Amino acid sequence: MATNVASGAHNFKVVLLGEGCVGKTSLLLRYIEDKFNDKHLTTLQATFLNKRLNINGKRINLSIWDTAGQEKFHALGPIYYRNSNGAILVYDITDEDSFGKVKNWVKELKKMLGSDIVLTIAGNKIDLEHERTVPLEEAESYANMVGAKHFYTSAKLNQGVEDLFLDLTKEMLNKSEQTSQMDVSRTSQVLVVDDELTPVQTSCCSGSKSN
Amino acid sequence: MWYGPNLQRSYKYMMFASKMPSLRIDKSDLKCKNGCDYFGNPQWQGYCSKCHREQMQRQRKAEKESSATLPKPEQKKTDRGLKITSHSSFSKFEEKRLRQSETLKKANLLKFSVFKKSSTDDHDHSAEKRLPEFKIPAMVNEGMKSDFRMKFSQLSPSMDRDARVFVHSFIMDVIKCANVLTVDELSERVQRQYQRFMRHMDTSSHFTNVDSDTKELLMDFVEKHAMTYLHELPSVVFSPTGTDDERLDRAMSERIQQLSWVGEKHLECKLDRSNAECRQLLYKAISELLGMDSALSPGGKLSRVRRACRHVLRLCSHAAPASADDLLPALIFTVLKANPPRLVSNINFVTRFCNAQRLMTGEGGYYFTNLCCAVSFIENLTAESLNMDKKEFDSYMAMPASIGGSSWAAALSLCGAAREAQEQREGAAQVLAQAQQLQARADSLAANALSFEEQIAKKVQDVLAKTPLEIKPRRELPRFGKFKEINTAALIDLGSNNDTEEPKATAKQPQPQATTTQLTEPVYTATDSVEITHKQPDTSVIVQPSDEPKLNILGFEVIERESPSKSPQNWDLKKTGSTELLTPSPLGFTPFDSRSIDELMTPDEFVTDHLPPGLSNINYDIDLSDFSGDNSIAEDAPKTENKDPFSPDGLRKTVPFDPFAPQTSKDYAVLESFDEFSFVHKNQETDPFEVVHRGNNPFSPVEMRADLENDPFTPQKKSTSILDDNDSPTSACLLPSPLLPQSSKKST
Repeated sequence: MATNVASGAHNFKVVLLGEGCVGKTSLLLRYIEDKFNDKHLTTLQATFLNKRLNINGKRINLSIWDTAGQEKFHALGPIYYRNSNGAILVYDITDEDSFGKVKNWVKELKKMLGSDIVLTIAGNKIDLEHERTVPLEEAESYANMVGAKHFYTSAKLNQGVEDLFLDLTKEMLNKSEQTSQMDVSRTSQVLVVDDELTPVQTSCCSGSKSN
Repeated sequence: MWYGPNLQRSYKYMMFASKMPSLRIDKSDLKCKNGCDYFGNPQWQGYCSKCHREQMQRQRKAEKESSATLPKPEQKKTDRGLKITSHSSFSKFEEKRLRQSETLKKANLLKFSVFKKSSTDDHDHSAEKRLPEFKIPAMVNEGMKSDFRMKFSQLSPSMDRDARVFVHSFIMDVIKCANVLTVDELSERVQRQYQRFMRHMDTSSHFTNVDSDTKELLMDFVEKHAMTYLHELPSVVFSPTGTDDERLDRAMSERIQQLSWVGEKHLECKLDRSNAECRQLLYKAISELLGMDSALSPGGKLSRVRRACRHVLRLCSHAAPASADDLLPALIFTVLKANPPRLVSNINFVTRFCNAQRLMTGEGGYYFTNLCCAVSFIENLTAESLNMDKKEFDSYMAMPASIGGSSWAAALSLCGAAREAQEQREGAAQVLAQAQQLQARADSLAANALSFEEQIAKKVQDVLAKTPLEIKPRRELPRFGKFKEINTAALIDLGSNNDTEEPKATAKQPQPQATTTQLTEPVYTATDSVEITHKQPDTSVIVQPSDEPKLNILGFEVIERESPSKSPQNWDLKKTGSTELLTPSPLGFTPFDSRSIDELMTPDEFVTDHLPPGLSNINYDIDLSDFSGDNSIAEDAPKTENKDPFSPDGLRKTVPFDPFAPQTSKDYAVLESFDEFSFVHKNQETDPFEVVHRGNNPFSPVEMRADLENDPFTPQKKSTSILDDNDSPTSACLLPSPLLPQSSKKST
């Protein structure tokens, strides 16, 4: 569905998740600005970015969605990340709570979207290395455990930002090609998988599953 | 919240697969009515999809067997509706509302069935006629055609045809299925249709040269036209039968109203309501949100949302670019303040029937998702989510919506009023400034006029002072007085022209002549001859009149104006005497002139320029050419000369002007300014004539009177008849000198 190929171009949707104040917006802003500085794009907003990439001759439309990170909006997560192909889970290396939040997100995403979504964990603010409270090993081992890639970034110093998005895009490309090989009608089955992972659902959903 | 669960249930639409994690409906409620282990669904009459499908098939079979004609959409729907009500575990109140909405839908359906013309009443011909009756109005097709031509002028007509054919089949398909399928199935079908069209574009030879961007635009085009049409059909795609959309709309609207006490502080968004620009943006965003309901296609609704969100973003971006952390609270606030109509229906409509591709990736999709989030947040809003005390929250909520709303509505409307007041104040200030400017200009103009008047008066006086005495010597001519009496104006004219105007006089004369031409041959010829003769003498005589510029002036004006009116009489008198002499005219024109003139004269249309281009004309032209040169230099003469130095019309027109010329202050001002400066300085010395003009032109009564007083003849008839006045002075001053010798010669 999300990876649907329209006239040879891949459309990928990526959500930025994470606690408030960990730098989601800064990452996105950095990515936007470095890409579009020369185009005088007035960065009125850093909430959404449509970006075209070309990787190995494949055209890719990347839509990056920022999300509101406040705790009170946590429940809205599903609306944001449904149908997304990739998620970037951002935490602040100086803030252990934010890392705990990432773990929650991972759990929720796994539950809701299964393995269809490519997860990437980004430890932001490495310019504040001396204040680090999230151990490097712990973060990386956790990422390995859940099958996510781990990156260290600094939006302030513009470190690792480009790599982060590029790598994620490649991963998503791989995944979409795998799935498209597996089954063309895969998209409709995505829902089925979701439902199995989330037993308690609205009646409608289960109905569609039973079909 | 009593409607919490229902609203959440509605969220399956918003989320497509309804992955809302928190769900508070009792499981047993959700089981299939048949008792199988699957979950049921109110839209499937409480069955799970499997049982429902079986049930439907059975029903359809039964229908076919029974009559094979009865579409029974209403019946089915009402059945479904009733089942929903019986099945749902809502409160009584809920049930009542639901029934209401069902009846409402029935009404809609009836409308729809009228449109289809297939109702349960006419059993006989519904099946066969149903399809043809579904015909899509040609208007849709035409609209598409023109729209396509406008948007994709570079694309080939074959694509246009493809798109239209597809839209047609698409609409037909949806209408056909609308009664049979549930909303979700229908939505899926629509999505498949979109994909089908996409595939068609990818594979069809018609679209080989089209790039992907254009294809997307085409996709939007198709979606727009198909959905715009379907949107207007009641209860097909927009808040379709079998859904709770309408009820949810009302619930949502009430909920928002109840939450109208929620302010920007509760949502922790930084909005400065005292800032005019900020308020402006908020208003814009609100109006865009309100406009969402009026947009018909999903794309249109999306673009409305996008615009609204852009305003909201600008609202939040104070220094740094706005982030999602800012956007969402501000958007929630905006939605709360806007309370858009049919919000849930609109959202569901877009989620179901918008091209999923766009909804997922585009900017519009992102903002729309944010809107969904905002709505969801509003639905599930609790004390915690506002960071406030539960008791306080409850007391706010217990407050009648009208009270809670009134304070905020008042605040908002106050803002509006304040803005309006400010705008009006600005407008008033502008108007005031303009008025002041105008006042200043009026003052300066008045001052100008005053000074101008003084200047003129002064100059006139100067001129008068320079040239007053000359009148008397002219009086010596009284011997001609006898002659004057006889000849009157005509003679005067001739004389005046001859006397004073070397060039101008001639110019003026031709006109009077033209007018006179009407009268009779002899008269005309006489005039010509007189003029000509006069002219020649004039040139020679010119030197003489220069002595008395003032006299000339007075006489001149008179002459001009009077000549047309009185000339005929005078001419008549003269004719007898002068015709013979005149015909041979100095210019050397022979009887031709007289003939042509005669012809002209007979018709009354002398006024017009119809004068046949005979020799007579030539004569005039020649005369005129003489004038023109002079005139151009000294156009001081009143309008008469300016308008038509060559045509007799001018003279006639002038007649009315003349008597009252003094009154026309404006013209005089203008003319005067020119006259005085140009003429006086240049011509004064050379041409006394012009000077004369000035004296007359000023028309300021004072000056005139002064002149008149000076003139022995004028006082008798001042204002009543200028002609007369003129006559007297002219006769006294001007005529005698030049005319007498000539006329006398001629007459004799």
